[in-house]
Amino acid sequence: MADDPYAALGVSRTATEAELKKAYRKIAKADHPDLTDDKAAHDRFKAASAAYDLLKDPDQRARFDRGEIDAQGQERAQRRYYRDFSEAQGNPYRGEANYGDFSDVFADLFGDGGAAGGRGGFGQGWQSGGRGGARSFDMRGQDHRYTLEVDFLTAARGGTTRITLPDGNVLDVTIPAGTRDGQTIRLRGKGGAGMGNGAAGDALLSVTVADDPDWRRDGDDVVTTLPISLDEAVLGAKVEADTLDGPVMLTVPAGASSGRKLRLRGRGLKGADGRRGDHYVELRVAMPPVVDDELAEFIRGWRAKNAYDPRADRERGGR
Amino acid sequence: MSGLTSGPTTGSMTRAELQRQIPGLTEARLAELIAAGIVRPVHSNSGDRFREIDAARLQLALDLEDAFELHDEALELVLSLIDQLNGARGDMRAMLGALAEEPPETRARLRGLIRELRVVTVRR
Repeated sequence: MADDPYAALGVSRTATEAELKKAYRKIAKADHPDLTDDKAAHDRFKAASAAYDLLKDPDQRARFDRGEIDAQGQERAQRRYYRDFSEAQGNPYRGEANYGDFSDVFADLFGDGGAAGGRGGFGQGWQSGGRGGARSFDMRGQDHRYTLEVDFLTAARGGTTRITLPDGNVLDVTIPAGTRDGQTIRLRGKGGAGMGNGAAGDALLSVTVADDPDWRRDGDDVVTTLPISLDEAVLGAKVEADTLDGPVMLTVPAGASSGRKLRLRGRGLKGADGRRGDHYVELRVAMPPVVDDELAEFIRGWRAKNAYDPRADRERGGR
Repeated sequence: MSGLTSGPTTGSMTRAELQRQIPGLTEARLAELIAAGIVRPVHSNSGDRFREIDAARLQLALDLEDAFELHDEALELVLSLIDQLNGARGDMRAMLGALAEEPPETRARLRGLIRELRVVTVRR
């Protein structure tokens, strides 16, 4: 939550209790995660509800105003919104979906058994319960959602990572090579327990790929920067560069400038079509730590005969 | 085979645990919401048990009451619409997920069919 709960609600510090409530309700109406898909709205709602939780109690508010407590630590345990449950198949509160003429197509694709892997699906006794309360259940367990942050190279190369679930269970998760930020990994049967004869739900891991100082992704391509010395830039060299498949010897052409990109074909990430993108190595000429007299003297002599203007083809003025 | 075994109560909470999770929920309001069929706890030998979905639904119901002053019938209607929408959303997501596994040609073919069904071309 924001450090300033008043700001999160958009009210002044002198707001009355009624004004606080009004501000909170206004945000809840517009930004409740069950009512909108907008991620920014979800954040606003989260901040506003934490702020309101803190400020609605006059004693707590007074303590906060006196600086005795801060706005942190007010967040409730991560709340799971109804949407998480009501989107899942087998929501007991959802009536039977009726797609008219296509009902049999729907049942074919989503119905019980078959390809769905034995999930307790629609029409398996749930709807008979009606409003009178639930009766007997074979319900597939809930899917549990987690967010998993992996480093760039693990995501790109693939690997395993160990996670501890809130219930204390430890899982080894295989990260497939070429996993992108925002992808979801489904671990079948690792979610909530099923009810009755229902199968367990899945664990859904939403993957966040951490930024890496050395590696960048551009579509299916990866880009790294390779520092080279002045002499390597002038004379050319063979230099070792790290790729997703391990180090390779790279030929730096003589006279390479900073920013020049060398392409390693097929060394990028695996794309949707199964083919791998490319790896671009961007050269960066690094000057020696100290420019000594010898070098300076040599360059002075060199400049006298060979001066060149690297900005010659730039437009004048403007920039 | 199925029926009321010990199964339904695993991973669910008692009334007291539920009220700890949702501080704003009074005993009286909970009883009303159950009576209205807005939340349907699992019946078990040890009394009503509430699943996570019930807790999330109750919390949403309280939020809707609070923010929009929705009560009883209106609340039930809104929740029913949310169930329908989210259910359809989940179906759609599953369908898209399944399609994503299909080769590009299948998708191209479906794209053509969907256009024919959804896009009306007006000829002059």
